[in-house]
Order: sequence, then structure tokens, then C-alpha cells
Amino acid sequence: MAAITLKNIIKSYDKTQVVKGIDLAIEDGEFVVLVGPSGCGKSTTLRMIAGLEQPTSGDIIIGDRVVNDIEPQDRNIAMVFQNYALYPHKSVKENIVFALRRLKVDNEEIERRLSEISEMLQLEELLDRKPADLSGGQRQRVAMGRAIIREADVFLFDEPLSNLDSKLRSHMRTEIGKIHNKFGRTSVYVTHDQVEAMTLADKVVVLHDGYIAQSGTPMEIYLNPTNIFVAQFIGSPSMNIIEGTLFNDYLDIDGYHLPREQLSNVVYQASIPDSGLKVKVGIRPDFFNDKAFFSETEAAFNFTNLTIDLIEPMGFDKEILFNLAGGSVKARLDLRSEIKRGGEIDLLVDLSRVLIFDYQTEQRL
Amino acid sequence: MIGKRTITGRIGFALAVLLLVSFSLLPFAQILSTSLKHQYDWGNPSLIPQTINLDAYKELLGLTEAKKVEIPAAIQKILNNPKLPQDKKDAIAAKYMSNDNLFPFGKYMLNSVIFSVGAATFSLVFSVMGAYSISRLRFKGQVVIQRSVLFVYMVGGVLLMVPLYQMAMNIGLASSLWGSAFCLFLIYIVQTLPVGMYMLGNYFRGIPFALEEAAMMDGCSRKEAIIKVVLPLSLPMLATVFIYCFIIGWNEYLFASVFLKQYPEFHTLPLALQELFVSKNAIWDRIMAASMLTLAPIVICFLFASRFMKGGKTDGGVKG
Ligand SMILES: Nc1ncnc2c1ncn2[C@@H]1O[C@H](COP(=O)(O)OP(=O)(O)OP(=O)(O)O)[C@@H](O)[C@H]1O
Ligand SMILES: [Mg+2]
Repeated sequence: MAAITLKNIIKSYDKTQVVKGIDLAIEDGEFVVLVGPSGCGKSTTLRMIAGLEQPTSGDIIIGDRVVNDIEPQDRNIAMVFQNYALYPHKSVKENIVFALRRLKVDNEEIERRLSEISEMLQLEELLDRKPADLSGGQRQRVAMGRAIIREADVFLFDEPLSNLDSKLRSHMRTEIGKIHNKFGRTSVYVTHDQVEAMTLADKVVVLHDGYIAQSGTPMEIYLNPTNIFVAQFIGSPSMNIIEGTLFNDYLDIDGYHLPREQLSNVVYQASIPDSGLKVKVGIRPDFFNDKAFFSETEAAFNFTNLTIDLIEPMGFDKEILFNLAGGSVKARLDLRSEIKRGGEIDLLVDLSRVLIFDYQTEQRL
Repeated sequence: MIGKRTITGRIGFALAVLLLVSFSLLPFAQILSTSLKHQYDWGNPSLIPQTINLDAYKELLGLTEAKKVEIPAAIQKILNNPKLPQDKKDAIAAKYMSNDNLFPFGKYMLNSVIFSVGAATFSLVFSVMGAYSISRLRFKGQVVIQRSVLFVYMVGGVLLMVPLYQMAMNIGLASSLWGSAFCLFLIYIVQTLPVGMYMLGNYFRGIPFALEEAAMMDGCSRKEAIIKVVLPLSLPMLATVFIYCFIIGWNEYLFASVFLKQYPEFHTLPLALQELFVSKNAIWDRIMAASMLTLAPIVICFLFASRFMKGGKTDGGVKG
């Protein structure tokens, strides 16, 4: 049993706070993904769980013990480092089995686990090499192998796939998913990659500048972000933020009137002055559709006669840019759409997906 | 064009290297040559002996059978004097028959080995501990300690010799054989420690701390991480520091001459060589052979060390 609880964790280096009060409960066997921009404190948080960094204040509880004063080696945690941290003087094989050798696991068992892991990570050919003779991606896989060969209570991954090409990355992603399903260890996984976060996570935690901006299931985070930071950080291409005005009956965007009662995701209840309430409207590029291929339904709103400024064919779909309410807005369209630059298009938007945010605080309304 | 050299450039370079090397090797060649020459050959400036004579080496290493020393006739007469008591006679005979005047090279070498290897070993162990703490740990007074250690190094040995000997006298160490040996030991360690710590400390700083963290995540304690990760990676520097300490001890004359003066049993090679010059055995081939043999361990040390230098590369461990 290894649930992890972080209670009001603060970490300062000298005078600067880098983690500013994190409360997080991770259930036993849960796969939690930490995402956030560079420098927001992901690695620091992970290292505090590992015990490599001491929190300035707050408690870390793993299983049923407060581990604040327990040494890293006594926490039974395996970790993949962001910078690999392989032992340069040991071969790949000895790197991977180092922890098992230390525990005097018998040779047969070591060989069995080693061959399983090296097959999974495609390392069979490399076992006798030294880390210096490996490519970045290969080193990363060795680091991965060294962590997962152990039967630790908790796995910590610090951007373990960042150096792999896209094919290997998706292979490894699948493997990590499989490993997690098979052993069900509590895992905390740091990544920049949206796809990894979305596919692997039971729970996504978005960090922003030392705070938790939002945590929840991948779907919650994607569909119901609680603030503009999360809304724009998650999802690629990121959510369009358009200025609009909310009235009692409708939402005005650049003269288009979106009927209020169909904006099912807008929960704002307080009264609105007659002059309207200035808001920021969030619409994901994916929720625009070319009218030519979709019939107009109750819940869809038709933005007519938009002028296309730019087309970016992405292979399996097309992204277009057009101007709305003084800003540039992106929409992701079907490959079939016959469009050209400077031409006009009608776009449908699923009204239940339209979000509004406070103009000042950028929190959901 | 980088790396491309013309023929003349290459020849010039080779010549320059050759000149430099032969210049620094000349004294050694002189030593080697003289040690192999017969007495009649000593005045000959040629470096190549007319015939090779290994007697000096054989004698120093105790490979010759003890020569039956002839007692001079005059002495024999005295010995035959019936008035002289038997014990006096024996004493006089022993004086002329004994092999004491032979240079006990092996013993001096053993002394030197004990002092220098012993001091180097301790110095290395302390250097590792000191270097690790100044490079990795944060504690109060760290900077002060770091600086003062180097300060010790900057104060020359001659300055300290008299006060140190006086201190050793005052606490009664210098008056006993083991006390003196212990003092000398201590002095060698203290003399070599600053540089050892400095070299190792800088080397440790170059080993990413993440490697130790990884070892800790793999279940090692800090001590284990040092032994299993830091030390194997530092092998070249450990070897260098050991050899440095060893050579300092091996060649040290000044302190040894003061502390070991009264204990010929414990004389080290540099002391013994000095004595050889003034003893009645001051024969050039033997002095040079002894010098050669004194040099040998150092040369062997370097050859041995160069094998360690190859190991322990730290690249490939961490990104960037
Ligand atoms: N030892 C340290 N001393 C001072 N500041 C530090 C130290 N370690 C990290 N920081 C600072 O703490 C902040 C958070 O660092 P952290 O490594 O946790 O970021 P991260 O979210 O992992 O970023 P990335 O995605 O780039 O890896 C950064 O601003 C960094 O400069
Ligand atoms: Mg990081």
C-alpha cells in the first residue's frame, strides 16, 4: 500500500519559493501526471517525494508513515531522472541490475527480469556497452529499465521519454501503460507531452508557478478547465481566447449572438447589468466544424462568412486562422474542407463546449 | 587546414621533442651508465660502458656471497699477542671481519617503503574524506577549513622543521624510536593532505551529484554511494594522489634527517644515499646503482598508474 499525500508543501531555495503550497492526494495504484511549463516546480515536487530534497514546510506521507525524515534509500521508491544519471563506469546491464545485485537477489531471477525488461525496452543489443557509447534515447531507456526492474512501492518518472523519436516514444508510452496495468504501482509522472498526460494519467495535475492550477481526470481538465492558464496549457493547438460580452439572453462575440440557454457549460448565475459583462470566451480549435459537412443542429451555432487568413495543412487535418473580435482565431477542420486563403467559410460551433472566463481573474464563470 | 602539417613542420616538431626529452633524460643516463662501469672506466666521458659491470647492483641487493675479509698482518700480530684477553681479541677481530661496512640497501628500501606507502595510504583515505566533505557537504566554517588547509601547504617545510621537532621533544615523542617514527609519519600525512584534498575535491565536484542520488534511489546509503559510485569514478585521481603522496614521502630528506638521525635502523633511502657519499663505501658505481634503485619504484609507480588513468571516465552519465 503506498498512497501518497502532500500536505501544504512549500519549498524555498534561499529566499525564493519555488513550490508554494501544494496539497495533493494520490491513491494507492494511481497514475498521476504532473504537467506545467518549464520551471514551475515539477522536478522539485518529484524530488521531494523521492526524498532527495527536503520540503521547507509541510508533510509528505507515503503509505502510513510521514516520510519527511526518512532517507531516500529507505522509502522504497524507484525513479527515472530527467538527466538519466546512469553510472558511467558500469555497463548497461550492470546499471539496470545494480539495485537487485545490492539486494542479493539470486542470479537466475536477475537474468529473468533483465531479459524481460531489455526486450520490452529494446535494449538486448546494448547490454554490454557503457553509457558513454549510447545515444540519448538509448540512455533514457536504460534509465527507465533501471527503475522498473525494481519492485518499488512508488515509481517516479521525470520526463522519461523526452529524448525519444516519436515512434519509439509512442511504443514506450504503450509499454509504460502496460507495466502500470500489470503491476498497478503508484506512479508520479512528469511530462511536457500532452498525449502522454492524456493517455497515461488517472489524474492530471497542472502546476503553474509553484501552485496547483487544477487537478482532475484528463477529460475534466480538457473539457472543464477552471482557468485560462489550464485551458490554454492543455490541448494542442491551444484554446482560442476571444473577447465577448455576456448578456442575460445571449453571449455577444463580435456581433454574433450565441443563445445563452444553450451554453450548457456556462454556470454563471449572478445578475448581469444591462450593459453586459465583459468576459473572455474560450473555444477549442477542435470544436469548430466546417458547415459543409455538418448539419446545423440545435446545439450548434453558425459563424457565417468568416474570412480565412491562413491555412496550415497538417496532414490528417487542416488548421485555419481567421479574425474574430479583433483577435486571430484558429480552427481545426476536416481534411475534406475545400478552402483557400482569403476565401470565406461558415463554421459551426458546439455550444455546449463554449467556456467563459472572468475578464480580470481569468477564472471560469 | 586544422590538423594538417607539413613534412618540415613535423620533422621540426619531432626534433624539438627529442631535444627536450634527451635534455631531461641526460642525468638519468649518466647515473645508469656510471652504475654499470668498472672503476677504470669512471673517467671516460662516454655514456656507454666499455664492459658492463653488475657488481654494484649485486652487492647492494645482497646477491654476492659475503667475502672472506682478510685480516691485515699488523692486526693479526696484535691478535696473536697472548697478553690480550680473549674478549678484546674477539671484538677487534669482529670489527675487521664483519660485513657491517656493506651497505644494507634492502633494509633502507624497506624503511622507505613502509614510510611512504603507509603515509600515502593514510593520506589518501583522509584526502577522500576531506575532499568529499568540502566538495559536497555544507557545514559551518567550511570555507575557513578549506582555506586553512591550503595555507598549511603554503608554509614551507624548513620553516616548520624546528618548531615541529621542538614540539615532538616537548611531548616526549622524539626521545623514543617509535615516537619519532610516528611523528615523521604524521608530518608526511599533513604535508601531502592539502594537495590531495584539493585535487580530489576538484575531481569530486566534476562528478554529477545526480549519480549519487541515483544510487540512493537504488537503495544505497550515502556511504555506499560513495564507495560504489564516486570512488570507482575517481580511480585516476585516486591513483594520482596516491602516487603524489608516495613520491613526496619517498624522496623526503629534510624531516627524516632530523627525526631519524639517532636511529640508523630506521633510515630511509635518501638518508642512506647521503651517508653513502661520506662513508668509506663512497664508490661511484655503488652510489649510482643505489640512486638507480631508488628511482626504480617511482618509475614503476608511474607505469602502473597510467593503467588506472584509462578507467573511470565520467561522461555518458548525465545529459548535457
Ligand atoms: N538547487 C536549486 N537552487 C535554486 N533554485 C533551484 C534549484 N533547483 C531548482 N531551482 C529552481 O526551482 C524552479 C523549479 O525547478 P524545477 O526543476 O522543479 O522545474 P521543472 O518544472 O522541473 O522544469 P523543467 O520542465 O524545465 O524540468 C526553477 O525556477 C529553478 O530555477
Ligand atoms: Mg524538471
